[in-house]
Amino acid sequence: MNLLDLLLLLSLLTVVLMYFYGHRREAGWLGVAAYAIQLLVLIKLYSYMQSDRIIVAHLSFSVMEHILIWGMTGLGWFFAVISLGAALFASWYTAGEWQDTQKNMRLQHIVLSLNVFAMLILLCSQDFITLFIGWELVSWASFFMMTHSGGKAAKAAYRYLIYAMSGAVALFAALVLIMVKLGSTSFSVFWAALPTLPDSFLWLLVVLFFIGFSIKMAILPFHLWQADAYAETPGANASFLSAISARMGLFALALVLLQPVGIERLQHLMMPLFTFVDARTLLAWIAALTAIIPTYIALQQSDARLLLAWHGIGQGGLMLLGITVGTPLGVAGGLLHAFNYATYQGALFLAVTAVLHRTGTTDLDRLGGLITRMPWSYVVLLLGIIGLAGLPPMNGFVSKWLIYKSLLDQGMPLLLVAASISTLGTILSVYKLIHNIFLGQLRKAHYEVKEAPWSMVLPMLILAVIGFITGLMPGLALSLVDKAQMALGYDALPHHLGGLEWKTGSLNMLWVVGILIYGIAIGAVVFYLFGGRSHKTHQWDNYAGGHFLSAEVPYHYSHNFYPGVMRVIGGWFRHQTLNVEMGIRHFVQWSAELCCRLSQVAHPTLYMLMLAVAALAFVG
Amino acid sequence: MMGPILLIILPFLGAFLLPIIYRHYNQAGYWAAPVVLVISLVICIGLWHGVNIVGPQSLVMGGVSAPLGIVFYVDALSILFVLVLLVGSLILWLGAWHRRIKEEMLLLLMVGGGSGLVLSGDLFNIYVFFEIVAVASYGLSASRRGDPCGYAASLRFLLLGSLGSAFILLGIAIIYALTGTLNLSHLAMLAPQALHGMAGLSAFALMLIGFAVKAELFPVNTWVAEVYAHAPVRISALLAGIVSKLAIIVVLRLLLLLYAHEQAYMLLLCIGVAGLITGELAAFYAKDLRRMLAYSSIGQLSVIAIAFSIPGTLGVVSGLALALHHALVKTGLFMLTEKWKGSISSLQGMAHSAKWPSVLLIIFALSLIGVPPLPGFWAKFLLFKAGFSAGGGYSYAMLLILLSIIIEAAYFFRVIHLLYQTPAASSTPLIPRNKELQPMLVISGLLLLVMLTIDPIYHHLSKIATQVVDVQAYIDHTLPAWKSTH
Repeated sequence: MNLLDLLLLLSLLTVVLMYFYGHRREAGWLGVAAYAIQLLVLIKLYSYMQSDRIIVAHLSFSVMEHILIWGMTGLGWFFAVISLGAALFASWYTAGEWQDTQKNMRLQHIVLSLNVFAMLILLCSQDFITLFIGWELVSWASFFMMTHSGGKAAKAAYRYLIYAMSGAVALFAALVLIMVKLGSTSFSVFWAALPTLPDSFLWLLVVLFFIGFSIKMAILPFHLWQADAYAETPGANASFLSAISARMGLFALALVLLQPVGIERLQHLMMPLFTFVDARTLLAWIAALTAIIPTYIALQQSDARLLLAWHGIGQGGLMLLGITVGTPLGVAGGLLHAFNYATYQGALFLAVTAVLHRTGTTDLDRLGGLITRMPWSYVVLLLGIIGLAGLPPMNGFVSKWLIYKSLLDQGMPLLLVAASISTLGTILSVYKLIHNIFLGQLRKAHYEVKEAPWSMVLPMLILAVIGFITGLMPGLALSLVDKAQMALGYDALPHHLGGLEWKTGSLNMLWVVGILIYGIAIGAVVFYLFGGRSHKTHQWDNYAGGHFLSAEVPYHYSHNFYPGVMRVIGGWFRHQTLNVEMGIRHFVQWSAELCCRLSQVAHPTLYMLMLAVAALAFVG
Repeated sequence: MMGPILLIILPFLGAFLLPIIYRHYNQAGYWAAPVVLVISLVICIGLWHGVNIVGPQSLVMGGVSAPLGIVFYVDALSILFVLVLLVGSLILWLGAWHRRIKEEMLLLLMVGGGSGLVLSGDLFNIYVFFEIVAVASYGLSASRRGDPCGYAASLRFLLLGSLGSAFILLGIAIIYALTGTLNLSHLAMLAPQALHGMAGLSAFALMLIGFAVKAELFPVNTWVAEVYAHAPVRISALLAGIVSKLAIIVVLRLLLLLYAHEQAYMLLLCIGVAGLITGELAAFYAKDLRRMLAYSSIGQLSVIAIAFSIPGTLGVVSGLALALHHALVKTGLFMLTEKWKGSISSLQGMAHSAKWPSVLLIIFALSLIGVPPLPGFWAKFLLFKAGFSAGGGYSYAMLLILLSIIIEAAYFFRVIHLLYQTPAASSTPLIPRNKELQPMLVISGLLLLVMLTIDPIYHHLSKIATQVVDVQAYIDHTLPAWKSTH
């Protein structure tokens, strides 16, 4: 029994444990312990992760002349670290007071452990069949996670299910086509054959893989399902889902198609009719559009969870963009962004859930001024949104910097502009998030609100601090990324603790953060030593335009944020994709009704006669 | 060796003696039919074992050798489906028949007829046994009184079925006129010259239409939804799960032995594709759980027909796998609907009061959709492998089947979604009785067993397929006297 066997076994045991003990109050702590042990095993595996080494589990089946094996490479390992970390913090969050507000905590524990297990199985896949099995397991596990709380969540999950099944079907087709064409389902045979596959066949595969994997990631035009489904999931699990679940698509796409040999081939794969566009450019632009459009949809949301979930989709686009650049810098940027995003998105979702826990709402029109009541949650949210917006000193800056740099190096300035537009949207909307929840006037109803309990604050705070530390010392996270990158077949980045040395410009976050703190310190010194007299006022003691405003006059400006921006971009949002989805739905409904009517006839013998005539005509 | 004869005679004998036994020994009567089935099962397993060791065997009746005499042919395929029929009817016996003598009799007739249908080696016997099965199924579907809809539905079924039988007879007559023989192996020898013309193929088309009524193929499947919605669940389960497979196995035999011709394959493919589209879409629209299952079984049987229309062993293997899988799963699903009939919306929130039936529904649905590692996935995997290897029109058929998977998931999970909602305030919990759950538990146990033994089952099915596809071996076995001349 090697370490990987141990890991899978432990993960399975966690599911069993949660099944029997999930109803106990201490189940959250049990989860923390279980995920921590698994994480330790993973850390132990770190030294095994060399560029082309696979650690193979003893789990193996021989089915229909295919031998199914599971094994872990650096890429799977990297994503496994993120998933276990996300599960650890989600479980920690549920360990305290929060679980009292949940009516089905046992189920939540079970689905969380089930999701982790399914993801580990997927991340260990070694050929297309095991990939498909893992893929289906993950899809159904996350469906279970989204649907179990019922009501609106179940509705969103049902929509996800239809999308996920479409993706699974596309993947199934790709799997069988590869098997029939190449006579084998192993990845290495596929990669070896990739350079010589005929264009038409490869286009088919690229489209099928893209549909299959990007539905999970909610890449355009399959982005509609995700935000609702994630936002409606109960808080802790929502943070897990949004931190890592969608990234499984990124993992699979990178694993199957975006190795160096794949990128190389995609660059020579010209689009039919539009022969000046190759497949990689197309993919990069789809990724860029995914980074932009959902971000601006996020800007329009008036619910904090929906806003965050829509951002998740946009950030996924950025990660894909980084990987499609296909240089060590870009791939490192994309993968690092997956890690960084997991830290701050997890923290953000948990912080918003803390607000929900205390105030009972995440409606951005019904909050405000909570900074005095929930200071720690404010700090977490602040650190989180700095990361999301990609500003120093948080880690989001580093990965975005890597992606931008790689776009510049590769001579793709237009994509860089697109990525910047997305970042602009992010900055605008995260400001809306923090302003509407924490800044401005405190609502009278929230006057008695207290800070969330430490059992909730601590995990999210630690996540945010991890985000800060990996921002200050990106070398820590980059050494994880190295493993994944080398497993994919790219060179590792020459990095050090503070950043990296690169021929066209280096980055040292220790310096960047140092100067930032230095600047702030000078400002603080000036403010406190040489500033004028100040006196503290009550939050409600406000004047606006010379008018005294009492608590009875709500003036917290939250509704219809950014009307100017919306006026400009509003015309672009005409629900095109939604219309297509509705169209398909109605078409299926209509044809289903037709078929049902067709089979309800009073004279079935007439059909028989028609069939006889048609069949005789056919053979005649 | 009398094995195959006993498989046919014993159920018939049981059926005829059942009323007498009931009249004199009530308690014994209650156990008589299951005992007959168990004895048949033992014989069947013995035969199966024999076939596995020494290969296919043929049995000549009445002392006159083929092609003049009556021939029964026992190979792995026929014995497998007799086994499925026996096991299926035994599982459905679990729980309650409550001394319904008529139903028990008809069921035994159906078992005997079904065994004869797959074992027969000549067209005339196939026709006779098919009629027996058909008449038994008309009777069974109308066996519960007091349901006018059920009566109307079975009357329509009767009309359609008997017209179909007439078509079969017409097809057989054409074949007889063309060749002067009805023995399958003799026909198999003559087929390439005699039957692959226009007249021969039209005979196939006519027979196909007749068998299609039972096999729920498009468009002579309009009886399916009505009959299954009103017949007792066990009958629906038996008809949908098992009897339909027997009909399609006969079609497979005819196709392989007599009509290994492109047009015959294409005809089956076209009918299959049309049935797939209409069946799955109608299931999507259906507002009633039983009707939904009925339409879904139309779709599934069409998929099986498509699989059988793929020439070569791969197609046969995948078709067999799909047929066996569907026989298990659809039987289980129908057993769920004893209490859960009527509109789907009345099922809202039932999962809270009926936990295990809902879980079983999910397992069956997942397997039917084809989610790994459940057996349904491997069956579909084989099908796509066969279809994409065959290429051409089959690739498009596979595409349609892939799309139908999405629709299947949509309609099954719409029901499951509803089951797990909060119950409507006014609803009374509909909890399936434990007695009804026994067959389902057995079936789900079997399903899990299959999941763990995919590999041996696959190898066995491949062996069957290579045996079935080998026409020359069939001829050699049934016509040993003619072996030397050819």
